[in-house]
Amino acid sequence: MTLSLLDLEACFEGVVPSIIATADGNGVPNISYLSHVARVDDEHVALSNQFFGKTSANIRMNPRATLIVVDASNGAQFRLELTFAYSLDAGPLFDHLSLQLDATSAQVGMAGVMRLRGLDVFRVLRIEAARSTIEPERKASPQRNRLAAAAHVVDLIAAETDAEGIVDATLNGLKTWLGFEHGLFLALCEERQQLVTIGSLGYAPSGIGSEVEVGDGVIGAAAASGNIVKVSDMSRIRRFNAAVRDSSSEENRTRSIVVPGMPDAMSQIAVPLAVAGIVRGALFFESRARLVFTREDETALSIIALHAALALAFSERTSEEAESERRARPSSPATDKGIHVAHHRFDDSVFIDSTYVIKGVAGRLLAWMLEQHLANGRSEFTNREIRLDGGLRLPDFKDNLETRLLLLRRRLEEKALPIRLVRLGRGRIAVEVEGRVRLSRDGV
Amino acid sequence: MIEEDLASFIQSPVMQIVGTADEALKPEIGRGAGAWASADRRMVHLVMSAWQWPGTVANLKANRRVAVTFSRPADYVSYQVKGEATLRSAEPDEIDRSGRYLVDMVSTLMRLGIPAEMIAPWLSNRDPFLVSIEVSDIFLQTPGAKAGTRLWSAAA
Repeated sequence: MTLSLLDLEACFEGVVPSIIATADGNGVPNISYLSHVARVDDEHVALSNQFFGKTSANIRMNPRATLIVVDASNGAQFRLELTFAYSLDAGPLFDHLSLQLDATSAQVGMAGVMRLRGLDVFRVLRIEAARSTIEPERKASPQRNRLAAAAHVVDLIAAETDAEGIVDATLNGLKTWLGFEHGLFLALCEERQQLVTIGSLGYAPSGIGSEVEVGDGVIGAAAASGNIVKVSDMSRIRRFNAAVRDSSSEENRTRSIVVPGMPDAMSQIAVPLAVAGIVRGALFFESRARLVFTREDETALSIIALHAALALAFSERTSEEAESERRARPSSPATDKGIHVAHHRFDDSVFIDSTYVIKGVAGRLLAWMLEQHLANGRSEFTNREIRLDGGLRLPDFKDNLETRLLLLRRRLEEKALPIRLVRLGRGRIAVEVEGRVRLSRDGV
Repeated sequence: MIEEDLASFIQSPVMQIVGTADEALKPEIGRGAGAWASADRRMVHLVMSAWQWPGTVANLKANRRVAVTFSRPADYVSYQVKGEATLRSAEPDEIDRSGRYLVDMVSTLMRLGIPAEMIAPWLSNRDPFLVSIEVSDIFLQTPGAKAGTRLWSAAA
């Protein structure tokens, strides 16, 4: 059987180090491990060149090289005969590999040490399997038709008109059609340079409202770069957040919600959500199995992420005009119970009966609605009037009011608080209060 | 000269990769299956499977030139030794030594979370040969700014 580079996909995940041998002009060999080998096309591979001075020097004197790559799913070894073609220190392939290297090396505590300086591209002359005393186990991978799966998920997204429907269609669609069971949908809060979780799949607690700094970890790196970031085997990666904390009591003290995650995840992938080239959020998935996310999954996720991001941006626009037909509002149960709402102006954090709810713009929105409710008994609001109210100091970009309202609504629901937000239709919401609100500002 | 620290490192469960080249300067790769320094600290002895790595054995017979990198999988600390090698079939005590290395190496990799069935294709001492290397140069090869630094040379 003739092997091609396409057959070796599992060798290019950066999981098991590859080996390269070269020789100088006098035939003195040199042998070294190297961290990253990438397939460029059907005939070429690119090798990372961080500090392999001797390898780099040798291939410029004698272009022949031999490479051993290892299939990360079963340990099978393949021997590749190569000849040096050219070097790269810029361009899309360089940027993509550089980013992968940054993201993975940061997680093994080698940030900065492993910076990619250049890529050496080689033509592959011959590929053969190395002899093995045991027949490597062939793991049958489930044959998923990812193109069909992507079409199904995009259909589900396209059928939705509001932020909540779009977020849920994306996560549930990926679960149904691609089998991903643990994931997050995050929206970018540009004024804070943070990504905030607005949708959650497979985690308890859900982590709605949890924040990731742009540039931080796999999710932050995807948002900062606008590229997919993937880790396929985390077994050697130091676990910084192994301790699962009591998130509720922590939340009240730190005013931040813990990002949900599997302590024993082996594969992770983050995909940017971008519209017209501008990142607006990210999708994140993880799994306990190694090498779960394939190149085809990356392609399917890219298509789905683009549609989800566009659909969200479109829903923001349409929510400008409130639906004239109102849906019936469930009436609030009449109760005289006192509800104490504290709004801290310095970070716009809101606590209801001492339970931390949310901070930032979403917190300011809640305080504003409650203020209106107390002043003139109003409980229904349109997106349009919220956007027009100067007192709210909404950020200049008005495009993610819907996602902030969704975040707020989900947080209030998750904490089972006596104040809820109810969506009455496109561009229209109501605040529902089970009791008498006392609003204090700055904790006074 | 091989310092004591390096001698212990070579004998510990570290991965061993072997580079050679044929007369047309085509490089070849093999894996070692157990290594130790000689009592006088001038040589490195290494067991290799001639069955699994026939190209390496052929090159060593033809021109003796060899490079071996020893790398600790837990932290990537690595050293490369270069020199000229002689080759013969391994003796029973050398095969025993190789067998103990294979067991230690599998245990070490398994402690790092690598499943045993994945490791098996890498480590074999079938048809064992002993490669005895007269060391001419020693280099540090741990990833980082100092990778490639020459630590010792017989010529100096």
